[in-house]
Amino acid sequence: MSSTPYNYNYIFKYIIIGDMGVGKSCILHQFTEKKFMANCPHTIGVEFGTRIIEVDDKKIKLQIWDTAGQERFRAVTRSYYRGAAGALMVYDITRRSTYNHLSSWLTDTRNLTNPNTVIFLIGNKSDLESTREVTYEEAEEFAKENGLMFLEASAMTGQNVEEAFLETARRIYQNIQEGRLDLNASESGVQHRPSQPGRTSLTNEAPNNKDQCSC
Amino acid sequence: MEELLNEVVPQEDLERFEKKFAHELELDGEVTIETKFEYAFCLVRSRYTNDIRKGIMILEELARVHPDGRRDYIYYLAFGNARIKNYSDGLKYCRAFLEIESNDQVRSLEEYIKKQSDKDMAKGMAVAGGAALVLGGILGLGIALAKNKQKRNN
Ligand SMILES: Nc1nc2c(ncn2[C@@H]2O[C@H](COP(=O)(O)OP(=O)(O)OP(=O)(O)O)[C@@H](O)[C@H]2O)c(=O)[nH]1
Ligand SMILES: [Mg+2]
Repeated sequence: MSSTPYNYNYIFKYIIIGDMGVGKSCILHQFTEKKFMANCPHTIGVEFGTRIIEVDDKKIKLQIWDTAGQERFRAVTRSYYRGAAGALMVYDITRRSTYNHLSSWLTDTRNLTNPNTVIFLIGNKSDLESTREVTYEEAEEFAKENGLMFLEASAMTGQNVEEAFLETARRIYQNIQEGRLDLNASESGVQHRPSQPGRTSLTNEAPNNKDQCSC
Repeated sequence: MEELLNEVVPQEDLERFEKKFAHELELDGEVTIETKFEYAFCLVRSRYTNDIRKGIMILEELARVHPDGRRDYIYYLAFGNARIKNYSDGLKYCRAFLEIESNDQVRSLEEYIKKQSDKDMAKGMAVAGGAALVLGGILGLGIALAKNKQKRNN
């Protein structure tokens, strides 16, 4: 993503979690590239993506960590939960087992993130209506009971993918506005970029370019 | 990609899996594959070169003894070598992987390593020369697998 320095006001950290094969990487790819990957190999460890979005005229850079759902990565990918402002928790509407495991994913999320972390439940593969095993209503009920936001989506058609990321950002932004998030604490998952493009003529300030090491 | 390589394992995680490793070793005189992998996964994300090297050693061993997990090991071998700027070995592991499986995650790591290594070259720096001997075994296997696959495809 080529960009002028600080063309955003905030950075929000997201994680995507859920059983293997539910479509986490496809959701991320659809969000960042607007494309569907039909043959997607299992993620190894963790993948990463970013995109700049706009909420309330503010530019927000989403830094998204897409974790591997395979069991052997379960314990070690917990590192990535820390400091997440948003967690997208995904199950596959055509595989009930992935839905049944949600409470364990939720427990991890609650234990490892802060109380203000916005958790968004996504029932993916909504395009596969004929093989559905989890109804919309029961998932909605589960979300309500646990205070989660919820949508069914399809990484294949793109339906509701954008919405899930944006709704999460709006809720995080609202938390900032209402003073519920401490922007100075790293575990809030939010960084504020003080320079406001358009107001000042910044540009000599480079974004944290760790890449510029002279070695 | 940069973000992935710059991310550093939280100290408490590294210590937790180090303890698990040491505990199993003490109790049974050996360590399960699962625990070895978890520890190595933390080590290659450490800020210290010595930790990363240790992680690489464990992954090399795992790649030899546990073929089922090989794609994970080879990816993190490339990753660990990239983090200690051992770009030539990093690239070899990427290529060994890509000969067996087409994979965008590995391809972006490969591109990143190439870019970094070109940068270093441009600065007139010698890239760590000579492939490590240990590479031989695993790469040989990877290539053998790839050949099998080609045969099947023909
Ligand atoms: N029909 C349909 N297939 C999908 C959808 N999303 C993902 N898939 C398919 O489901 C499979 C798994 O998708 P991934 O995105 O790799 O799943 P993942 O959750 O990242 O899996 P891990 O990386 O192993 O944790 C792929 O073959 C995708 O093509 C969807 O919305 N509809
Ligand atoms: Mg994935």
